[in-house]
Amino acid sequence: MAQSKRFFYPEAIKRISRLELRARHVVEGFLSGMHRSPYFGQSVEFLQHREYTWGDDLRYVDWKVWAKQDRYYVKQFEEDTNLRCTLLCDVSGSMRYGKGAMNKFEYGCTIAVSLAYLLLRQQDAVGCVSFDESARMTVPLRTKRNHLDSIVQALDVSEPREKTDLYQILRNATESYPRRGMMVLISDLLVDRAGLFKGLKMLRSRGHDVMVFHVLDDDELDFPFTGPTRFEGLELPDVLRCNPRALREGYLAALNAYLEEVRRGCARNYVDYALIRTSQPLDAALTAYLNNRLGMHHKN
Amino acid sequence: MLDVLYQPLLWGLVAVGIPIIIHLINMLRHRRVEWAAMEFLLISQKKHRTWIIFKQLLLLLLRMLAIAAIVILVAGPVMRNWVGRLIGSSTTHHIVLLDDSFSMSDRWADKTAFGEAKEVVKKIGEAAFRRGQDQEFTLLRFSGAVRHERPALLQEKIKTGFDARLKQELDAMTVSETAPGPGQALEALGEILDESEDQRCIVYIISDFRSREWEDPGELKDQLAELDRAETELHLVHCVEEARPNLAITSLAPAGGIRAVDVAWQMEVAVKNFGTEEARNVHVYLEQEKGRRQVATIRRILPGQEVKKVCKNLVGQAGPYQMALSLGENENDSLALDSFRHHVLDVPQTVPVLVVDGSTDFRDAVRISTALSPGGNLRTGLEPQTRAPGVLSKGEPLEKYHSIILTNVSRLDPTAIAALEQYVDAGGGLAIFLGERSTSTFINENLHRDGDGLFPVPLANKEPVELRRELLDPAPDLQVENHPIFEDEAGKPYMFFIRMVNVYRYFAVRDGWQPAPDSDTRVIAKLRNGAPLAIERGFGQGRVIVFLTSVAAKRPSIDGSGPPEVWNDWANNPAFVLAMQQMQHYLCPRASIDASQQVGSKLVVQLDGEEQAGRVGFFVPGDDAAPIMPDDVGPSGGGAQSVSFSDTNTSGIYRVEIAGSDGGPAENRYFAFNVDAAEGSLATLTRDELAAQLKGVEYKYAQAEAFKYEVDETPGENIFKYLLCLLIVLFICEMLLAYSASYHPTARPVLAAAKGGAL
Repeated sequence: MAQSKRFFYPEAIKRISRLELRARHVVEGFLSGMHRSPYFGQSVEFLQHREYTWGDDLRYVDWKVWAKQDRYYVKQFEEDTNLRCTLLCDVSGSMRYGKGAMNKFEYGCTIAVSLAYLLLRQQDAVGCVSFDESARMTVPLRTKRNHLDSIVQALDVSEPREKTDLYQILRNATESYPRRGMMVLISDLLVDRAGLFKGLKMLRSRGHDVMVFHVLDDDELDFPFTGPTRFEGLELPDVLRCNPRALREGYLAALNAYLEEVRRGCARNYVDYALIRTSQPLDAALTAYLNNRLGMHHKN
Repeated sequence: MLDVLYQPLLWGLVAVGIPIIIHLINMLRHRRVEWAAMEFLLISQKKHRTWIIFKQLLLLLLRMLAIAAIVILVAGPVMRNWVGRLIGSSTTHHIVLLDDSFSMSDRWADKTAFGEAKEVVKKIGEAAFRRGQDQEFTLLRFSGAVRHERPALLQEKIKTGFDARLKQELDAMTVSETAPGPGQALEALGEILDESEDQRCIVYIISDFRSREWEDPGELKDQLAELDRAETELHLVHCVEEARPNLAITSLAPAGGIRAVDVAWQMEVAVKNFGTEEARNVHVYLEQEKGRRQVATIRRILPGQEVKKVCKNLVGQAGPYQMALSLGENENDSLALDSFRHHVLDVPQTVPVLVVDGSTDFRDAVRISTALSPGGNLRTGLEPQTRAPGVLSKGEPLEKYHSIILTNVSRLDPTAIAALEQYVDAGGGLAIFLGERSTSTFINENLHRDGDGLFPVPLANKEPVELRRELLDPAPDLQVENHPIFEDEAGKPYMFFIRMVNVYRYFAVRDGWQPAPDSDTRVIAKLRNGAPLAIERGFGQGRVIVFLTSVAAKRPSIDGSGPPEVWNDWANNPAFVLAMQQMQHYLCPRASIDASQQVGSKLVVQLDGEEQAGRVGFFVPGDDAAPIMPDDVGPSGGGAQSVSFSDTNTSGIYRVEIAGSDGGPAENRYFAFNVDAAEGSLATLTRDELAAQLKGVEYKYAQAEAFKYEVDETPGENIFKYLLCLLIVLFICEMLLAYSASYHPTARPVLAAAKGGAL
């Protein structure tokens, strides 16, 4: 049980428990829930009128309109459904980096567990896939509260290693989850950008609501190194011996260009994107993000 | 080439490898970081690799250069090649100007100023010798500069054996008896500096800095300022700390009396107290062949006062007479050289006086001759020689006469007048008595010539006038002014006899005549009625005294037909004898001139004939063995020949021997040379006073006792300051480059894109 609480921080959970994780796009759930379904059903949420055709249920004929116009119209309502959210958690070697209380892997897993808790509390179905070059552990979609333990255990046994092949992972997810739902990608995105954007586009084309949590360490963002340093690639075989200060300016320029490219790529595919520093308090980061997302949802 | 003063310190250049070693150590000590975002690092490294490596190599080079510069700085860098010459000088030239005037013989305790100066020179030489070999040394004495001598050490290379040579020169060096100032030494220095243009020159002036020369430096200051402009380092080394008292004999001259054998004559000696305290009981000694004897004692000389004392002397043999006066031991006397005064006198058996009498019976001449040379046991030393006026026209040299007296001369031809004027102009003395033959017309037109001639006063154009007798008037006929000829040897007027003189006839001066206020003509005796009777005037270097009456009491009438005319009874009065005697002392000022020359001046000897030039030999004082040949032989004007001798740097009596022709007897002439008495003033400037006088001149000052060789310049150009500047530039470049190469902490900007947050 101790291992099952590795990524579970009650203080953080408590702070974000009042929040909701709502799909911004319509999703296809299997239960009635708080998310909009692509199907019309019984609901208090009126959607539109449609001219009556043969076979329509007479219960939905709007007699007031018939009385006024002498024409038969039926009322259509939005159908609410539950959310099917799949957490895609990067456990590749690059996620191992981190010097603070948590490295990127731990931070990413904590985000995943926190979101899983929120979703399960909303009666939404949550599944989880940890991946590096390929899917390492897959936890199916469930709505039960005790499903959280399964997710935690799945992440816990996933020690970071190997490279990342995100395109393959996203393609598999697209194929594995044909019904529209929510895909949450938690990764440092140190991958081939073309494959990333291609995979995201694929998910979006299947109607999934996609969220990307881009987790990076402060060192990676600020590059504060001094003194002669030998950098050894966590995923790449390269080794670089250098004076970090001399390269800092060029590094930050390249990093900035990369981040900008990722932002633009996500925006282009209507993917929610959040860059999160591992030094940020998790609850604060999630609260800010979810509040922001909730605001956007209501606008929609 | 680049040289250093402390070569062992060059081992420090090994430290140049320190940056490389640190670099290598850092290579080993590098931190190992497992890094995820290698992609960006590699991009950055690929983009900046060449530039980073270049900057790192440049930084490494700068650091190595900086270390090398520090090591060389500490080792004392000296540039000895064209670069050194370009930025400075490759050779240091020490030029010592040594004051060897005799005031440097100032003594206190067991030291002398000159001894202190020599110690300073020795210190400079030894220190320079220790510093290295690319140095030169010049030692120029003040006295040598005056004589345009080649310095004892001129641009002497400082190398092995130099210290011994310098010591030898200094040991043989004594203070001179001349009084040269620094002016000519500085002029000579200018020539030396001109020849040392490519050298770094350090000039030391080692002197006693007497007030006499430095209190109003004027031209000296300009000369020193020139050194500033020539970028020459100047050191002033003061050899005395304070002014000491000093007594000096400033002059020795015949004071009065006729210089002749067995005639007592007077010498006037002047002693000056240059100190600041009163000097008491200053004894004056006369040194002559017979030995040394005290001739005078001056009881008291106030500070700065010059006291003259007359002492008598008597010579029993004709010929050149050598003597020296000296001062006795006195606590107020610091210098010995100026306490001596040498003198040479030519003492004749008798002194000839030419008496030119215009009367046929020489009655006046007899009177005058009797007054000048009474005969018997009373010797005056005078030898009156009576002649007719025609003697003046014969071209006979008049210089041999002590004085000339004209009496009752009616006319003189122009030749005679010219000869007389030349004689007086050259310093001779002339007395003129009138008589019945004298005519005012001739005198006014030929002797007075409106003031251009010898005669001091124009006469009224008329015959002699009678002085009216006033029986009730008790006033004496002759009323004299204070004048030496009317005073006895003790300086008191002999009025008793003068009051008894009666004058009956005289020549009146032109009406309204008064001596011009700015002229040296004055009336020295008047008659009772106020008419001038005796008038004197200066003419050239000589003197003329005229008496407007006759010598003889009774004169025949002018036309010879009448009874004798009574002119005066002066010649019957003892006052006449006294006046004639005193007039001889007074008339010839040449006798009272201090004829000695100053040490260092050229001795010029006039020769009688050209053939004598080859037979002249000079003997310096104290060395009578070998004659020295003249420096120069040349015409002296008027067809005469002269020889000169310049090596007169010692005070004393110089003998000039002119060998006789064909084995004849040699002729000896003697010349006295004395030190410049003014040099006896030992007042000296203090450091502050000197600084005030030399304001604007950059120099370093030191007292001789405390002098230390502190010249930090070394042979060649010391490039310390240039290297220091280079080091500073290197450090600035290193800092900028290190900053540029990101080796210095900076505030790290956080990229906007990296701040985190949702899209």
